[in-house]
Amino acid sequence: MHLPDGFIPLWQCGIYWIIALVALGYALIWARKNLDEKNIPLMAVLAAGIFAIQAMNIPIPWGTSGHMVGAALIAIIFVSPWAAVLVLSIVLILQGLIFGDGGITAMGANIVNMGIVGGFVGFYTYKSLKGLGRIPAVFLASWASIFLASIVCSLELSLAGTFPLIEGLIFMGLYHAVIGCIEGVISVVVILGIDNVRPDLLSQWVRSKKPGAVE
Amino acid sequence: MSTKNRNLLFGGLIIALIIAVLAPFLASSNPDGLESSAESMQVPESEPAYTAPLPDYAIPGMEDNPLGGVIALILGTILVLLVALVVTKLLAKRKENKLDKQ
Repeated sequence: MHLPDGFIPLWQCGIYWIIALVALGYALIWARKNLDEKNIPLMAVLAAGIFAIQAMNIPIPWGTSGHMVGAALIAIIFVSPWAAVLVLSIVLILQGLIFGDGGITAMGANIVNMGIVGGFVGFYTYKSLKGLGRIPAVFLASWASIFLASIVCSLELSLAGTFPLIEGLIFMGLYHAVIGCIEGVISVVVILGIDNVRPDLLSQWVRSKKPGAVE
Repeated sequence: MSTKNRNLLFGGLIIALIIAVLAPFLASSNPDGLESSAESMQVPESEPAYTAPLPDYAIPGMEDNPLGGVIALILGTILVLLVALVVTKLLAKRKENKLDKQ
């Protein structure tokens, strides 16, 4: 879903850049209050893992492919959408600057779509659905984060005059409804993995209740 | 850093590096959801506004060699880890200082 340069006019890119920078400011405030020696290594390895897995495009029907984004996963693990904004900003800035993945002018829009929309949708979907059980809730939150990020991306492109509104929504929505399943499965696997090796790093809201796990 | 956290850091990095090494061989080269949508609606490809040092996760001159992709992704994975560590440590450090003063 990385927007390249040239798909969105510069003045609109500017608006997304401003939104992204304001959100990044909030993310830094969150980090200052909430990061410590205990959760920093987890955040750093997850950032590295998200970078690597974003290169792993998985084929979906219609000759298309898609990859994990990871915003919902981060928001759920760190119990804050701002954590997702921070991690996705680091990943997207380095992808754009070093690997030309996502345009420099479109980087603000990419942070808005994948970091902000992905993080907030993932966080609040998990929050409202966690009564279903954590595995279905993580899957659905991750699925919704990708689906709605692609809908917002498609709206931006129709505002930019690049995609027609309805066709854009149908194509982007359809492809990302499938790609969202990849996101859901990987998020569940990662959370179960962390729960297995370091349950102490997971917040109560996503941890399995283990005997002897005293808060 | 505690041993447990060091293990997490190295264990996590190894998993990330395994993904980075496999990705150039396993990843689908089909267009992604956005590129496919753009193709379906006949939106022409655009020119990048900036030339990245390792465009498309390839080492210049080794574009057709998957090994170039492996090297680019390994470098990227380690770089993301280091940047994330430095950024988060700098931010968390201030909190500690503030606590010390109180």
